[in-house]
Amino acid sequence: MTNSPAAFTEETVDIAGISVQLRSGGSGEPLLVLHGELGVPDWLEAHELLARHYSVCVPSLPGFGTSSFPDWLMSVRDLSAWVNWFVRECGLATPLNVVGFSMGGWIAAELATTNSALFSKMVLVGAAGLKPREGEIWDYFLNSAKDAFQQSFHDHESAQYLKYYGRDWTPDEAEQVETNREAAIRYLWRPYMHSVTLPDLLPAIATPTLLVWGRQDGIVPISSCELYQQGIANAQVAVMEDCGHMPEMEKPEEFANTVLGFLKG
Amino acid sequence: MFIGHFTEEPWQKEDWPVEWGSGVMAVSNAEYDPVRASNLYHRYIDEKVYAEEMGFDGIMVNEHHSAPFCMNGVANVKASILARVTNKAKILLLGNILPIHDDPLWLAESLAMIDVISRGRLIPGVVRGGGSESLTHNIPPHYNRERFEEAHDFLIKTWTTPGPFRWEGKHFHYRYVNPWAVPYQKPHPPIWVPGTSSRETVEWCARHRYPYIMLASQIDLTQQMYQVYYDTAREVGYEAGPQHLGFMFFFHVEETEERAIEVGRTLTQGVRSPYDPGAQRPKPWIAGPPGIATKSARALRRKMTAADSSGRTRAGARATFEDQVATHGMVVGTPDSVIPKVRYILEQLRPGTIIFRTGDGAMDHESQMRTLKLMGEEVMPKLREIADELGLPGPYDIDPMTNEPVTAMAS
Amino acid sequence: MFIGHFTEEPWQVPDWPDEWGTGIHKVSNAEYDPYRAANLYNRYLDEKIYAEEVGFDGLMVNEHHSAPFCMNGVANVQASILARITTKVKILLLGNILPIHDDPLWLAEQLAMIDVISRGRLIPGIVRGSGGESISHNIPPHYNRERFEEAHDFLIKTWTTPGPFRWEGKHFHYRYVNPWAVPYHKPHPPIWVPGTSSRETVEWCARHRYPYVMLSTQLELTREMFKIYYETAEEEGYEAGPQHMGYMFFVHVEETKARAMEVGRTLTQGVRSPFDPGVQRPIPWIMSPPGLNSRKAVALRRQMTAPDATGKTRAGALASFEDQVATRGMIVGTPEQCVEDIRYIMDYLRPGIIIFRTGDGAMDHESQMRTLKLMGEEVLPAMRDIAKELGLPGPYEVDPATNEPVTALAS
Repeated sequence: MTNSPAAFTEETVDIAGISVQLRSGGSGEPLLVLHGELGVPDWLEAHELLARHYSVCVPSLPGFGTSSFPDWLMSVRDLSAWVNWFVRECGLATPLNVVGFSMGGWIAAELATTNSALFSKMVLVGAAGLKPREGEIWDYFLNSAKDAFQQSFHDHESAQYLKYYGRDWTPDEAEQVETNREAAIRYLWRPYMHSVTLPDLLPAIATPTLLVWGRQDGIVPISSCELYQQGIANAQVAVMEDCGHMPEMEKPEEFANTVLGFLKG
Repeated sequence: MFIGHFTEEPWQKEDWPVEWGSGVMAVSNAEYDPVRASNLYHRYIDEKVYAEEMGFDGIMVNEHHSAPFCMNGVANVKASILARVTNKAKILLLGNILPIHDDPLWLAESLAMIDVISRGRLIPGVVRGGGSESLTHNIPPHYNRERFEEAHDFLIKTWTTPGPFRWEGKHFHYRYVNPWAVPYQKPHPPIWVPGTSSRETVEWCARHRYPYIMLASQIDLTQQMYQVYYDTAREVGYEAGPQHLGFMFFFHVEETEERAIEVGRTLTQGVRSPYDPGAQRPKPWIAGPPGIATKSARALRRKMTAADSSGRTRAGARATFEDQVATHGMVVGTPDSVIPKVRYILEQLRPGTIIFRTGDGAMDHESQMRTLKLMGEEVMPKLREIADELGLPGPYDIDPMTNEPVTAMAS
Repeated sequence: MFIGHFTEEPWQVPDWPDEWGTGIHKVSNAEYDPYRAANLYNRYLDEKIYAEEVGFDGLMVNEHHSAPFCMNGVANVQASILARITTKVKILLLGNILPIHDDPLWLAEQLAMIDVISRGRLIPGIVRGSGGESISHNIPPHYNRERFEEAHDFLIKTWTTPGPFRWEGKHFHYRYVNPWAVPYHKPHPPIWVPGTSSRETVEWCARHRYPYVMLSTQLELTREMFKIYYETAEEEGYEAGPQHMGYMFFVHVEETKARAMEVGRTLTQGVRSPFDPGVQRPIPWIMSPPGLNSRKAVALRRQMTAPDATGKTRAGALASFEDQVATRGMIVGTPEQCVEDIRYIMDYLRPGIIIFRTGDGAMDHESQMRTLKLMGEEVLPAMRDIAKELGLPGPYEVDPATNEPVTALAS
């Protein structure tokens, strides 16, 4: 791992009806990153590792970060329609690779069910969207924001947990967390973090898919991984040991290698 | 002057662990003993019937969910009963939690039936509800205000427009609205709104000319909220008056001062509302899930309830019984000693509606009956005289919608 | 033997135009006069109190929407009142229309409160409801049965499982189910189901061992439905008995046969239920929107209710008052004559539950009170003797869930 400063740009652009907070870096084929329900706090180490091979594009989804949040976005399906619009207006060459985390994984799966020409390869990481066969998706809204990050990480000593979450927040950071929760709640409220129809649509997916799951995922139980695997033809699975819901932050290197191995393979 | 009576109808049990507090979304309903519950429900109904007999103008009922401090999970059940077992008092629902209804046509139908059975005595107040109400009914908190406003508009339209009509809103959809029950009162039953310290709610209320009942027990905070009402009324183009403003406070009266203090103290004991002074608040993410309050409302409330230089919060989160008595948050004493205290409140706030909160907390039935009797015999007649002297018309003296004297009542 | 009382609580007005029929989904609620309504609601409540006094075991209440023939738009309002103003009788809700509730937690909370206030006297029956109910509340008719079953399962779980728990179903979603009110009756209040001629409903009912109350006025059709119950029970591995079977029919009793015929006829006049014999059915696409019933069920019902060789339908769509009296669809006469006819029904159907439908249609209050008095003094005692003689235990003598004798009642 290198200690060189992250080569990325952060800008605000008007795309697809939204003022989007957009972080991007690297070069080569585009790789779209769809963050999870907690938003994305920074250009992360994992993004940097991927950017050595791809042109990585990390938009803050509508309502998250500093992106705008119009009323018409009410559901994950609306959000997936918006991502499709974003890809086109951004001029990203399709089909393109996508990595979706938790809620972002659900968005990618929804898109892949409707348009097999959009993604060349798809990586779903701790993806929400399906009602687990065993256990329940952890309830963000009966718990505090602090609890959510604690629950998301298996290792509370890991560097990025301590850097971003496992410390006192500034008022601005606290306000940003609350803003992200306000966005998440609108998309995920009912049915809670899952679709009742997605399971029957998964066989429509023709995109080569990798499912990445932390063995100790405390948000979306690993039984959901099995459901995705059963639903999507030829889906591969990579379970990361001693790892929670955010492998990209908890074990960035192992995570990036796993993803790159799949995308290059 | 409109004088109402309120008990939150708390669960009462001697060995309720202190750490369970109000019990809101914290205690399993395995603790709910239905035999004890039936005795409590009937006791509270008996007390309401007696309050009517003692001369109260209105009997207030409220509602909370998964909340042992308020046994009315469905206030309309209680309101239904009161419609039949009382015959003079107004039934003051403060109120139905509009946003947590997915299908407000049920409310339109239920409330119309209750108004009709009571022969026009229903005041179907409306509230937005705390976070726990949305969480228990799994209703999107982030649409709380939108749903509140749309449900309100739907109720008013259903009650005033001959059916059938169609309603295609954002949150509610009907193709055939034509319930075979519409209210007794025309054009529709009066809407009142209770509140604590939401500026947005006061403004909404003032724009609709609905009486606003402040539930806080703090005189100066209440004055500020009333000022918001007066200011908004002027912007809208009318002059607000006592008929638009109400105030609720704890009350206990006994034959001797000593006894009043001793028994009155039980109001601050037992299973208490998390909204009461000195009670433990629910967890912030339960009380305020994401999106239930706007950013500006959040900031304003934080400011209004911030601790002062002495470390006391204005909401009185740490207020003891003695503190509350000293600051008129609770009025406790003999009939002779409480009159000047209530007079002080009337002079300071000039409300047209006051609601006595009695028999709450850990207070027993006998003490509640004693206080109601003294109120009926000695306190209320004097208060009515004072109200006349101070010129404090209630909403059944001056119509808040028109500011005209009420001549003939719909009922 | 369990003997219940029922009035559909129709709107009554002398000048109701014939062509308005039942008024269901047809007449604007501009016709609803709340003063008349207040008198009618309170009249019907008075009659129910009297029915308890003369010895009925249960008071049945039902619900329809946008339907002048049934003034209870929200049966739970009346059930709430009965919980407080009666003391012995069962409150028999037949029933809440489960599929038209978007949020069945409201039902769980309301019904628990009503059961507790009544000290365990509630029978919270459930129905699927016809098309009119789904259309009024704008609830997807095509998910009617799924929603019925999911809401039922949710209610039972909420009433029997200590909270909090989560419910992620197809139609209903909750993250914190833990209402601070659970029923008085353990493990949960008894569920009864009324029906007319849906085979699927009878089978569902038999599989759950819930008493099935046939509302039809046709003995033969009823016996066929009971037979389905018996057969399904056998498949399930238990023996059904009278405790599982109920039957409702019109009754009017007077001192003389002539008077009984003259006054009894008013049961078939006025604003009537579209489900009654001789009444015009509502528009088919309102009654049965696409998907409300399975194709198989529709075909079966068509077959079961097809006209016979004489051109009369089995559902008695064209039945006159005289026809109905002649075929024992209505029992009208002196106490002795009525007892004789009822013995025939009891012998033929062997039900453990009988529900008298009285005071309905255009019948006035005085006639209803007269017939209730005669029933209490002469008919009910005779029926109880006959039930003993014929061996017809009701569900409070032999528990339908276990077939064991009921020893101590939860209430």
